Amino acid sequence: MPVWQVIYDELKSENENFEIISVAQDSGGEDAAGPIFDAADVTYTSLIDVNHLISSLYNLVNVPSGVWIDEEGRIARINEGTYAQEHFNGAFGTNEYVPIVRDWVEKGAESQYVWDTSKVRESIVDRTPEAEKAQPAFLLGSYYFQRDNEAKAEQYWTLAQQLDPTSWNYLRQDLQYEEGGSAGPAWQQRVEEVEAAGGAYYAPLEIESGGN
Amino acid sequence: MHAQLKSLCFGLAASSLLATTAAQAQDTTVLYNERIVEIGQTLPDANDLWVKPEDLTRINDFELKPEGACYEALCVPVLQDRDSDMYVTRGGQGWFNVTGLADKLQQAYVVDHDDGVWSFGTMPVKRQSFIRGGMAPDFELNDREGNPVRLSDFQGKKVLLLTWASW
Repeated sequence: MPVWQVIYDELKSENENFEIISVAQDSGGEDAAGPIFDAADVTYTSLIDVNHLISSLYNLVNVPSGVWIDEEGRIARINEGTYAQEHFNGAFGTNEYVPIVRDWVEKGAESQYVWDTSKVRESIVDRTPEAEKAQPAFLLGSYYFQRDNEAKAEQYWTLAQQLDPTSWNYLRQDLQYEEGGSAGPAWQQRVEEVEAAGGAYYAPLEIESGGN
Repeated sequence: MHAQLKSLCFGLAASSLLATTAAQAQDTTVLYNERIVEIGQTLPDANDLWVKPEDLTRINDFELKPEGACYEALCVPVLQDRDSDMYVTRGGQGWFNVTGLADKLQQAYVVDHDDGVWSFGTMPVKRQSFIRGGMAPDFELNDREGNPVRLSDFQGKKVLLLTWASW
């Protein structure tokens, strides 16, 4: 996040019309996410989304995820696992994403990294009818979580995970409040299962394939 | 869309509405995106959520008009001169079936019957420009000072929307 602030300052100085909206998908609210925003001294728009509304609206299943939205509200890229830089010698993150953001801010629709509508549509995660139902189930769980009804929060968050097993957010948000935590054995086991089935934890970055 | 909805309106199964005339005073809560709407009175029913027409609008912005339940250009036909699975009159009071509308619009919902809390997903009709056209769905969330922030406030700008989490 401090890295995004540096990038924001740089790109904003070149193009006044560039904005970052950073949205924490955090049922823990201000207590959980606020200090992280504060520590980074962010000047871009920072929001805390206790119901995971943004992931639900944009069909995002993991964090971090990035979406490019142009001046007319058209999506130019979506559903990419997007750290600002490489972390822990490449354990996660990449240094390749920020340069393409820079290219887009500079060139707009002429950037070779801007996707056409059909590529955007293909990149929106498909949802089954069951997965559509996961959204109101998670919302109901969040309602109870905010009211300290842990049993019902657990009940509906578990239902959300069953309805949409592709959502890492639903899984890890729930695990955060259980023994082992959000990156513990339960999470690791799921990652191994998904990878064994040919899936990936992060949505892949396709830096080269946007080409005009 | 209209023709499709109209055809859905015919040949519907009988309503599960109980033959009752009294409204229920049990507290009912409806969740829809960031909205939490408290409903004072509903009609008792084992499966469906029936509210007064004015409460429909508080829930999801649909308005009951003579031609049907309408939101922007979309109107879902609703018979109002006699009882149907979408609308009934009891003791002079009209009641609208919110879950019936959701079913017609393929809007997902989950309910906790014990507490009377109904949670609705985003309506697919509001997602077509996103799913089919790649347009960014608008949203409204409060910033950390409690001021509403909408994506549409950023029209004319390039926005990098980033999600993250503390967990």
